[in-house]
Amino acid sequence: MEAKEQVKTTAVKGTDMARKVRGLVKNIYKSAHEAKAEGKKVAYFMVASQYDEIIRAMDVVPLPTENYAGLCAAKRDMDRFLLKAEADGYSQVLCSYARIGLGFDSLRKELGGIPEGAPDGGMPVPDMMLGSSAVCDPRFKWYQAAGRYLQVPTYSIDVVAPPVYADLNAVRDYYIKYQKEQMQGLISFLEAQTGRKMDKERLWETIRLSDKAWQLWYEIDRLRVAIPSPMPTQDHFSIMVAGHYYSGTQVAVDFYQGLYDEVKYKAENSIGVIPDEKYRILYGGGLPPWHTLWIFNYFESFGAVFVIENVYRGYDPVEVPSHVKDPVEYLAWRAYLRFTQRHEKARANSGNPIVERLLGMIKDYKIDGVVFHACRSCRATTVGQVHLKNLLGQYTDIPMMQLVSDMVDLRDYSEAQWKAQIGAFIEALAGRSA
Amino acid sequence: MTAFSQLDAFYQERGKHARELHDSGKKVIGYFCCFVPDEIITAFDMVPYRIQGSQSEPIDQADAFIEPMACPFARSCFNLALKGKYDFLDGFVAPHSCDTVERMYHIWRHNKPAPFNHFINVPHMMGPSSDEFYRKELAYFIKSLEEWSGRKLDTGKLKDAVRLYNRRRAVLRELYELRKPDPPLVSGTEITKVLVAGMGIPAANHIELVKQFIKEVKERPQPKAQKLPRIFIWGNEIDDIAFIRLVEESGAHVVMDDLCTGTRFFWDDVPQTDDPLDGIASRYIQTHCPRSNVPQAQTRKKDLENRYGYINRFVKEWGVDGVIFYIVRYCDTCELEGPDLREYLNEMKLPVLMIEDDYSTSTIGQLRTRVQAFLEMITT
Repeated sequence: MEAKEQVKTTAVKGTDMARKVRGLVKNIYKSAHEAKAEGKKVAYFMVASQYDEIIRAMDVVPLPTENYAGLCAAKRDMDRFLLKAEADGYSQVLCSYARIGLGFDSLRKELGGIPEGAPDGGMPVPDMMLGSSAVCDPRFKWYQAAGRYLQVPTYSIDVVAPPVYADLNAVRDYYIKYQKEQMQGLISFLEAQTGRKMDKERLWETIRLSDKAWQLWYEIDRLRVAIPSPMPTQDHFSIMVAGHYYSGTQVAVDFYQGLYDEVKYKAENSIGVIPDEKYRILYGGGLPPWHTLWIFNYFESFGAVFVIENVYRGYDPVEVPSHVKDPVEYLAWRAYLRFTQRHEKARANSGNPIVERLLGMIKDYKIDGVVFHACRSCRATTVGQVHLKNLLGQYTDIPMMQLVSDMVDLRDYSEAQWKAQIGAFIEALAGRSA
Repeated sequence: MTAFSQLDAFYQERGKHARELHDSGKKVIGYFCCFVPDEIITAFDMVPYRIQGSQSEPIDQADAFIEPMACPFARSCFNLALKGKYDFLDGFVAPHSCDTVERMYHIWRHNKPAPFNHFINVPHMMGPSSDEFYRKELAYFIKSLEEWSGRKLDTGKLKDAVRLYNRRRAVLRELYELRKPDPPLVSGTEITKVLVAGMGIPAANHIELVKQFIKEVKERPQPKAQKLPRIFIWGNEIDDIAFIRLVEESGAHVVMDDLCTGTRFFWDDVPQTDDPLDGIASRYIQTHCPRSNVPQAQTRKKDLENRYGYINRFVKEWGVDGVIFYIVRYCDTCELEGPDLREYLNEMKLPVLMIEDDYSTSTIGQLRTRVQAFLEMITT
């Protein structure tokens, strides 16, 4: 394959720990290849599906297909996969994570092996695919569609959340019951695939590790209220790898402990991301522009630092009642409590749990402006951003802006347009602080 | 006045009759998609109203509230609501059919709340625990309606409603039988009008009109055989005749469909069970929508058969020569389903044209060339 110049896409990180994440990412795909060679089971899986601990407890090696799409975009090696999926009949407006995954699977099948030069060695053929309905519809439809290329067992679970105005006393029990049954179904499937029974003590251990990691992650984010910001949003888009792809392992706990120590030190010693922090920005929502993460550094050139974000960590720690003694029931309870943790507050105020989260961030992190990223191919994280902006506008008059592109498809991105929008946004920020 | 001209009037002036019913004191409950049981609403002596958009009106107000990369059908519906065209709705109900409708519910409820608003979570997975969860969601929907209306649900009335809607299903299936001859006795354009009209009027009225229409069709002079290709339409929302008429004007018969606005909403009966909610839940959760995940079968062939076996029957019994997919853009589940279904249909030696459209009559001109080329390919 002809050598090509790597176009710069990534952002300059603010923390040392974020700079170590690249190794964690490489290890995901390396581990999957090694696991295959050793005869271990490897599974395609989706982040935030509430089932990570189950997969880890069954010693199945998770292979995150969405992350792989982001990785391809960061490496600017996505076009061949996107175009392959489109040539196979998938629409150009379909989730681009799914298009990259399907295009990769299609090419791998066609070539009889990993496409040459695929980022981080590519993804091996999995032994199974584990989808879910958490977050969006394509997360189970994608794997169903991948059956064209992969004749492997596929299983998906529902992940359910009651709407904000539901009477939680009326619905709680059956929501938790259903969630538990869905997870039990997954366990039965994994037991059949691996030929071994779930060890509940082992499941409790992965839950303990996962909760510990997420607690540390939460505490890190609380440290980020410091002025100047000790850790920017572009770092979040790296350090989330531990929480989402190593959940239920000691690796994640150790990583976040290291990051906690570093961020704490920076906060206590007023070491900011940039020397002169003028504006503190909230990344209000939408998947990251993986193809152009350096844009965060572009904001910084105007003194604007993204200090906190509302994506890829949608909930704070919750306390599952002590009467819950079964680990699967614990997972079901935890999912329910995560999804409903701002319902009561929302009912009393804006009517929208995400608005409550954002308002809390605006207050706690002393936010000067909010930026959303609308992705043309992502309904789940894009539809509703305008609504959020409208609602937030009833409570705050800080500038807000919606940038439009896609999470991985560069064809939807215009650097000139973004820079013009960003210029106007910075002017609005400057006008308020004058 | 013929039954068809009455149905045509209901089709042309959608919402008019429902508004009159609302003005006369009836409660009209608007809902999205195929997962909100008409039977439950009817058993409360309320009028179910299937919310529709307008392919001929530009989406000129919704952009201030919802992104353009959302399903244009859902955006169009909301656009009409913003313009006051759904102010006659006493209730607004949305199921969790897909990502956009789920998000749309919250946006709609906040900006154009009805006196009664409710969201039904519908499992994406299929199986016994999903059936039970959906049944609980329907029971909670009933409880919410009881609290709002101040009346308890009468189980006898729910059983009556099951029988009523099964009668409507039967009469619509009977109408579809008239599409089997060659040439079909009733056109796809007419069928679309009949179905869309029925979404805005009480089922009892619709049944009578469809029965009368069937009689009218049978009394027409027998059309001469034209040997035009017989087309099956698969996709999501077609609540305007424009596209179907385009296909028919291009030299084909539209003889069968699998659409949210077609067989998908009415084909299968609700089983009559001791507790009518059992039958209702089991029927509605089986709706053949790409947003539902049919558990994987052992082999690819079996898997496709599991998912599309019902289409096989439609295709064979209605003598289909070609299939057109009409997908309203940004419907991720249809976009992912399309290539699999095409593979299945191609195995049956059926040619497929896949169209992605903006839910707008303004695009019809562009589609004409593609449809004509497809029909030409079939006939040569």
